[in-house]
Amino acid sequence: MATRNRTLLFRKHRDALKSVRAPSSSSLPSTSSAGGMLALLEAIKKTLKWWVVHCSCECSKDLNLVTVGLPPAWVDVSEEISANVQRARTKMVELAKAHAKALMPSFGDGKEEQRAIESLTYEITDLIKRSEKRLQRLSAGGPSEDSNVRKNVQRSLATDLQNLSVELRKKQSTYLKRLRQQKEGPDGVDLEINMNGSKSTYEDDDLDNMIFNEHQMAKLKKTEAFTVEREKEIQQVVESVNELAQIMKDLSVLVIDQGTIVDRIDYNIQNVATTVEDGLKQLQKAERNQKKGGMVMCATVLLIMCLVMLVLLILKEIIL
Amino acid sequence: MVLTSSARDYVNRMLQDISGMKVLILDSQTVSIVSVVYSQSELLQKEVFLVELVDSITKSKELMSHLKAVYFLRPTTENIQHLRRQLAAPRFGEYHLFFSNILKDTQIHILADSDEHEAVQQVQEFYADFVAVDPYHFTLHIPSSYIYMLPAVVDPSTLQRFCDRVVDGVAAVFLALKRRPVIRYQRTSDIAKRIAHETNKLMYQEESGLFDFRRTEVSPLLLVLDRRDDPVTPLLNQWTYQAMVHELIGIQDNKVDLKSIDKFSKDQEEVVLSSEQDSFFKANMYENFGDIGMNIKRLVDEFQQVSKSNQNIQTIEDMAKFVDNYPEYRKMHGNVSKHVTLVTEMSKIVQQRKLMTVSQTEQELACNGGQGAAFEAVTNLLNDDSISDVDRLRLVMLYALRYEKDSPVQLMQLFNKLASRSAKYKSGLVQFLLKQAGVDKRTGDLFGNRDLMNIARNMARGLKGVENVYTQHQPLLFQTMESIVKGRLRDVDYPFVGNHFQQGRPQEVIIFIVGGTTYEESRCVALQNASNPGIRFILGGSSVLNSKRFIRDLEEAQRVARSNTSIV
Repeated sequence: MATRNRTLLFRKHRDALKSVRAPSSSSLPSTSSAGGMLALLEAIKKTLKWWVVHCSCECSKDLNLVTVGLPPAWVDVSEEISANVQRARTKMVELAKAHAKALMPSFGDGKEEQRAIESLTYEITDLIKRSEKRLQRLSAGGPSEDSNVRKNVQRSLATDLQNLSVELRKKQSTYLKRLRQQKEGPDGVDLEINMNGSKSTYEDDDLDNMIFNEHQMAKLKKTEAFTVEREKEIQQVVESVNELAQIMKDLSVLVIDQGTIVDRIDYNIQNVATTVEDGLKQLQKAERNQKKGGMVMCATVLLIMCLVMLVLLILKEIIL
Repeated sequence: MVLTSSARDYVNRMLQDISGMKVLILDSQTVSIVSVVYSQSELLQKEVFLVELVDSITKSKELMSHLKAVYFLRPTTENIQHLRRQLAAPRFGEYHLFFSNILKDTQIHILADSDEHEAVQQVQEFYADFVAVDPYHFTLHIPSSYIYMLPAVVDPSTLQRFCDRVVDGVAAVFLALKRRPVIRYQRTSDIAKRIAHETNKLMYQEESGLFDFRRTEVSPLLLVLDRRDDPVTPLLNQWTYQAMVHELIGIQDNKVDLKSIDKFSKDQEEVVLSSEQDSFFKANMYENFGDIGMNIKRLVDEFQQVSKSNQNIQTIEDMAKFVDNYPEYRKMHGNVSKHVTLVTEMSKIVQQRKLMTVSQTEQELACNGGQGAAFEAVTNLLNDDSISDVDRLRLVMLYALRYEKDSPVQLMQLFNKLASRSAKYKSGLVQFLLKQAGVDKRTGDLFGNRDLMNIARNMARGLKGVENVYTQHQPLLFQTMESIVKGRLRDVDYPFVGNHFQQGRPQEVIIFIVGGTTYEESRCVALQNASNPGIRFILGGSSVLNSKRFIRDLEEAQRVARSNTSIV
């Protein structure tokens, strides 16, 4: 793929032309008066140009006189959201590690790991929810170029957030599945023993019955505790799944479908052109309405009445 | 993947080294160039948050110095003027200028002069000056390309602009591929000769340093052909998917505009048909209409199964799975409805215009069949009132091209009948076509009746019978490509430029058809490339034709020729 860099040639010309322009202003006193006048005019033109450039921008942004040259305020919001996305990504890596650790067979109760997983999941969901709320704030009204930039920034951040939430939910569902498989293992064995236990109650003595019943009760209690705990875990995961589903629904409106007409650059340029034109038409209509509006009518009527009164006054003076 | 990947690489390189929020400014030509290879979502990933046209951006006065401007323009005088004005009052923080072709020194002077605020950080030439509609097919979108049909004396400045644009486009393709070719052109065409010589001058004399690439064993070949050597292919009705959509509805930059056909919902008004992004289209773009119908039915059945399973949501797990698969489901839904809409619309048009009968006669005219039978068939269709004007015109044109010398009386009869039936088409259009592309003007053996080999081949084909009556036509390009593969392209018909010479067979061939290419020809090239990987063909043209556009070019050329009395 061939390319050619013309920057050096360009810079050479630019510097050469700059040096041609600069001496004209510095050679002020040495030349004749006509030449001096010319150079003075050049200098004045240059400063005027500089003022025009800077004044025009100040006039257009009458509220942000100080922030000329600085990025507008919404850029901070977008940067905050992308920082959140970064943080959420690192936390996802931690969460994956915690999932793996919790799934490993261990002697302990596993409560700390559960708590770690819960807190990580909660943090990530919270980050995503907060980013989503800030994202809504990015959109602006009015057909200006700035609003298009904001809309596009919004879209790209929405895509990032959606990918994050999809990843999180996939991780959660795989973890849940593996968890269920694991927990069913020991439970299955327990149930089998229970079955055998209940069969043997009918065959053995009453004494044996009582002992088996005690064992049976203990085992039942344990399985009950397991089931309750498992239900709680599943409930929590399901809750977070539902929350994320809600977020996904909101975000999917903002995200562009790849391969469709909306994903085409020329379609978006055409749309921009039409919205800007529409905006212009709306402004013109508003102007016309304002001109036709009641205020102008009232003002003209009052003026006419004043003139009439003045004329009457003069007539009164003349007659009397 | 050759052309599309080159263009994509150029755009990638433009954007990758510049950090921060960017605005991409294009002109009306580079918009097409970038849109066919790069999507809006990919631009957003590269932090390009605004895309504008260079002429509309001068109207706004908003200062956006937190954005860096990346300009990708063609180096024309209007663009340089726009840039001058914008550099004099810069709105963005930094300016990075990329041009799609070679800049003249004077243009660099002008830009340097106007850059008083020193906002420009780089000026580069990135040679993506062609619209890569398919991997082996590019076009240049030249608007009034009818000018090639007229002699140079009519409008020398427009013709010069046309030639310059073609030379620029072809040079850009070779620069993107980093090759310098051996050039051959069609003997009987003045415009092909002119373009071949001007390209030679550019590549070997004016900018020989730029084109001085590593020499391969066998140089690639650039073959410049004239559309008028094969006027039959753009006139025929097409039955393979991509060609048919272009013929009946019209494809522009891989987009299909359905607004003129019928009222559709907002998201189906304009659809994208790109082989890069749509795997169903990639598998079916060269299939004929019957096979497409079956494949679409299969696609719809698959989709119905998926949506049925989606409706059967009973547990929370099912719900989670549904939300997981929702983006893919939506994409599939969009894709299926797009193809179903297209095929339905085309079926309607085929029904309305009775294209099955018309096309059968067209194919007979183009491929085989005796003169008497052809005359009868054409007369019957001319008498039929339900055939539209444009179809009647096409039939008479095809008959005239085939049996120009065979029976002048019958030809006259057809002309008169056409003139009496269709008031829309000015008389003499068919005669104008014959003057431009008649038997005397053509080099190639269009109907396979010039030399003995071709006659024998035709007879064998007629005896064997064809698979599908509607797709039996092979464009002349197919024979040209075969001769190149066998190394038997005749020097008499396709001479070399200057002192170029090539021994042996080239491995890369770029064929440029002045006047425009058709999707039938690009299908031919793609199939040839797939079946014969030893040699790679790339096809390009000044525009992509269908019968409407070709007839419009003829009408425009005829109008200009008539108004210009210096034509004999």
